[in-house]
Amino acid sequence: MKNTVIRLAIERPRSIYAAVMLLVVATAALMTRIEIDTDPENMLPAEQADRLFHNAVEKTYTYHDAIVVGVVNEQHPNGIYNVRSLTALHSLSNSILALDGVIAPDLASLASVDNIEQEGSGAIRFEWLMRAAPVTEQQATDIRDKVNRLPLLKDSLVSGDGRAATIYVPIASKDLSYPLSREIQALIDELDSEDAYHITGLPVAEDTFGHDMFVQMGISAPLAGLMLFVLMLYFFRSAQLVIAPMLVAMATVIISMGLMIGLGFTVHIMSSMIPIFLMPIAVVDSVHIMSEFADSYGRGGNVKIIISRVVDHLFRPMLFTSLTSAVGFLSLLLTPIPPVQIFGAIVAFGILLAFILTILLIPAYVIRMSPAALDKLTSEKRKAHTDTLLARALRRTGRFAMRRGKLVTGIAVLAIAFSIAGIYRIEINDNPVRWFKASHPIRIADDVLNEHFAGTYDAFVVLTHDGAVARAEYIRNANKLLVDIDAAYAVGIREQLNADPVDSGAYYGNLIATIDDALFDAVGPATVDSLERLMELAEQAQVTSKYFQHPEALEYISDIQDALNNSGYVGKSNALSDVVKVVNRELRGGADSEYRIPGSEAGVAQALMQYQSSHRPHDLWHIVTPDFSSTVIWLQLKSGDNQDMSLAMNFLDEYLAAHPLPADVEMRWAGKTFINVVWQNVMVAGMLKSLLGAFVVVFLMMAFLFRSARLGLLAMVPLSVTILGVYGIIGWAGKDYDMPIAVLSSLTLGLSVDFAIHFIERTRSFLRSSGSFAAAEKQMFEEPARAIARNAIVIAIGFTPLLFAPLVPYITVGIFMAAIMALSGVTTLVLLPALMSCAGPWLFPEMKKRGAFAAVSGEPATA
Amino acid sequence: MPRNLMLALAALSLSTGIHAEVLTDADEVIARADLAAYYGGTDGRSEVRMIITDAQDRQQRRQFTVLRRDVEDAGDQQFLVVFSQPSDVRNTVFLVDKHIDRDDDRWLYLPGLDLVKRISAGDKRTSFVGAHYFYEDVSGRRPSDDSHEFVETTDAFYVLRHTPIDPQSVEFTSYITWIDRNTFLPMKIEYTNPAGNVYRRVEVFGVENVDGHPTVTTSRVSDLLTGGRTDMQFRYIQYDVGLPESVFTERSLRNPPREWLQRPEN
Repeated sequence: MKNTVIRLAIERPRSIYAAVMLLVVATAALMTRIEIDTDPENMLPAEQADRLFHNAVEKTYTYHDAIVVGVVNEQHPNGIYNVRSLTALHSLSNSILALDGVIAPDLASLASVDNIEQEGSGAIRFEWLMRAAPVTEQQATDIRDKVNRLPLLKDSLVSGDGRAATIYVPIASKDLSYPLSREIQALIDELDSEDAYHITGLPVAEDTFGHDMFVQMGISAPLAGLMLFVLMLYFFRSAQLVIAPMLVAMATVIISMGLMIGLGFTVHIMSSMIPIFLMPIAVVDSVHIMSEFADSYGRGGNVKIIISRVVDHLFRPMLFTSLTSAVGFLSLLLTPIPPVQIFGAIVAFGILLAFILTILLIPAYVIRMSPAALDKLTSEKRKAHTDTLLARALRRTGRFAMRRGKLVTGIAVLAIAFSIAGIYRIEINDNPVRWFKASHPIRIADDVLNEHFAGTYDAFVVLTHDGAVARAEYIRNANKLLVDIDAAYAVGIREQLNADPVDSGAYYGNLIATIDDALFDAVGPATVDSLERLMELAEQAQVTSKYFQHPEALEYISDIQDALNNSGYVGKSNALSDVVKVVNRELRGGADSEYRIPGSEAGVAQALMQYQSSHRPHDLWHIVTPDFSSTVIWLQLKSGDNQDMSLAMNFLDEYLAAHPLPADVEMRWAGKTFINVVWQNVMVAGMLKSLLGAFVVVFLMMAFLFRSARLGLLAMVPLSVTILGVYGIIGWAGKDYDMPIAVLSSLTLGLSVDFAIHFIERTRSFLRSSGSFAAAEKQMFEEPARAIARNAIVIAIGFTPLLFAPLVPYITVGIFMAAIMALSGVTTLVLLPALMSCAGPWLFPEMKKRGAFAAVSGEPATA
Repeated sequence: MPRNLMLALAALSLSTGIHAEVLTDADEVIARADLAAYYGGTDGRSEVRMIITDAQDRQQRRQFTVLRRDVEDAGDQQFLVVFSQPSDVRNTVFLVDKHIDRDDDRWLYLPGLDLVKRISAGDKRTSFVGAHYFYEDVSGRRPSDDSHEFVETTDAFYVLRHTPIDPQSVEFTSYITWIDRNTFLPMKIEYTNPAGNVYRRVEVFGVENVDGHPTVTTSRVSDLLTGGRTDMQFRYIQYDVGLPESVFTERSLRNPPREWLQRPEN
């Protein structure tokens, strides 16, 4: 088969060009269907339990995506509480209300919320907090005094220090975030204000991220390609020759991406990195072929024969390096994060595609080069290839590694120990906002707002009471009573008893109304008595079902809030208990001592009915369901770091262990900040599984390739040392283990094993031909070592353009790509020969018999 | 608009006689509508069942009895509202002295907190106990608060546009009322917000003749922005029951007048 392929490439170059061209054009056409996906939620499968729950909570409590407009005044002694600032805020808030796509009833700003306060003797007043902009400074500071009495507003709508205020602008669809934020910016530009305005919020961040991703794919990836081209040009000195691997790389990237998009997958942050990952891998095989071709051309002369021999030579190691790299990326399928799985599958596909394209296109390309170009490429340069700084350095390296095998091994062991210590220091943490650079406007807005407010990161503690037990008991009792009730009424009541209980507000409401109607019409003492009893029990069951209207439940929530607020992990918490306390205080004269929960369920119900008598009664349903069976404690966190969210979660776990939830009450987390923690945990566990799985499979493949478990083990050394080293550095450097860092393990595995396969395979073949380890190693540090070194350098330097990418994950990948290449290049070229010099006879037992290690081990040659 | 037609037909069949004359003075139309909607008889009682439904079709119910006494037609009125359902707000009482020439007086009794409060009249366009109805919808908006103009007169309706005299005091820029030409009951009202959209709608679905007064028995207000709505059913309606003035005093807050709250025998 191998020979058929090589012959095909050499005999039918035009057909190969045509076929590849056709494929590229077809898949490039598919790319027009591109759909960008920047929703961090999509890191979890659509049916993942926490995600489903989070989405259900967002729907139940009507949480919209919101643009957050922040305004800061650092100069005025009263902060934003001055006529000019508030006038501007008032005007902006009202202008935004009139924009299409804004969900006006849920817009929250000083100009759109209610105040409840004392008026005159014993009267209370419900009114807009800032219906009109203040005219005097006194009116402005009056607003401050009102806000400071409303715990739901203070530190949420206006910062506690009075320097900053926000306008929460809920929007009908994420797609509107870009046009709406532009319109809002235009409104801000027209304001008479010297305050600093910031526009942020998750939909804006996602939109910006998507835009920057496009920029990255459109600029950084081609730039990386250009860099690869220039570097290869430096090594091979023939633009004509170097175009070939570039063609392979581009065809690989276009076909893979086109196919992915054509299959209907969205382009996520992970898949946007596919071109970057595929390009170096696609080029690696070509570099091996060209490196050997450039070094051997001129000795023979016949291009077809030489290229056939080179490809024949390299076919096995290239096939295996491609297979093992592919396995490394396929192992990502073990990580249950869809974007990571798609990324792994497509890169694995691309790697195998690159292999096929390489062995078809490169020979086809080379034999079509003019003899003049080929001669220019090689004959006069051959000397130069073997006499460069790199060539001389490699020879010295080889000699050093051979002579000082034990020293090198010792150093490696120390380095491994050092790395492992580093790995123990790794902090697992991520925060999608940090994917923006610190200088990005979104990061700046994030910093400024979190400096002033209790936090812009939301998490929700969702408490749900299961009313099924109480309802079942009521139905049992009701059925007994129904026996005595005139059938004319019993039928209708039974119907209500069997109705869908999902909304217990409707369930008990309809039931009680039906009984009430029956009571009016019914005659006959048995029926009336039973109906009255039925009514009494129904009302009791209804009160029970409104669990979060019970003072005990609210006190329990209030205690959780106190604990969380004092824990230091949470900026602020907002809950139903706060609403009830404020209304109770104002109803009872406004004294601070009345800031408490009423003593009876009826008291709470009546206080809440007053709260509902405002301009925004629907606000209540953002924290409790209308049937009072479920409620949220809304937490504001100053940091979106997963570590900080995890600390809050652990704290609550411990608190709940010490203060168990009431009977039939369940607690679950929701909120974007929580979801990020969920997918990170899934990712870390999944990545470990992926890495171990790939490790085992690659080892088995190596053992099979070399028909030797010992050589298989040896082949695993460079990648193991590199992975340990890279993660050790991450640990010591204090860089958080985040999404891009997690994916690097597969890249390391894929690329490091390449070098090892080439090195071991070539060493063994030289050993066989020369019969001497010393001679084989000398040969190894000629052409094979140069190919490995060139590859390492090309990839490492080729990705420096990523350092200028607008998004941090790409920068991270760029830096660590260089580190991985450097480490795996060095371990392959230094540690492998050193290990071979120490353990050669054990590694190559059949060569030991032939006396190949005589010079090294000091044993006399026996053959 | 088949629904409007049906409403019109229903109203027609209930009317006591076809008005031959066609009114052309908007102020006169609105004055008669005010009388028809809020001043039937010299007093009255009615039981109201309110179903508050949000955009997710989740329901809350309220049930209360309204006692009304007119001090004079088109003038001051007194209301006593006593809640009966749900049981946790039972015996919550509102007492309203509606004045034409000054702010209303409002009192509130919350039995669960054992608390009598005077409520500042302030803004009457706040929700009535969480419903999509406003306080002002319950007691009636003063005709003098708006200027009125004809949009058109159809076979069934006087269609009027109302513009607030003090735009700062309300959240709408204008509203349009479809007033039945025979009963003078407003059958539909649509409110327009500053963005120029109709965002709120009041509709009457049922009218019955009670003691000679065409009376609304079912109506709905829809919040077109949030997707929520409140349905009201009026039952056990009586006019001219002879409510004494003493019913409408602070004493009734803690001790609701049982004899007047009883449902009439059918």
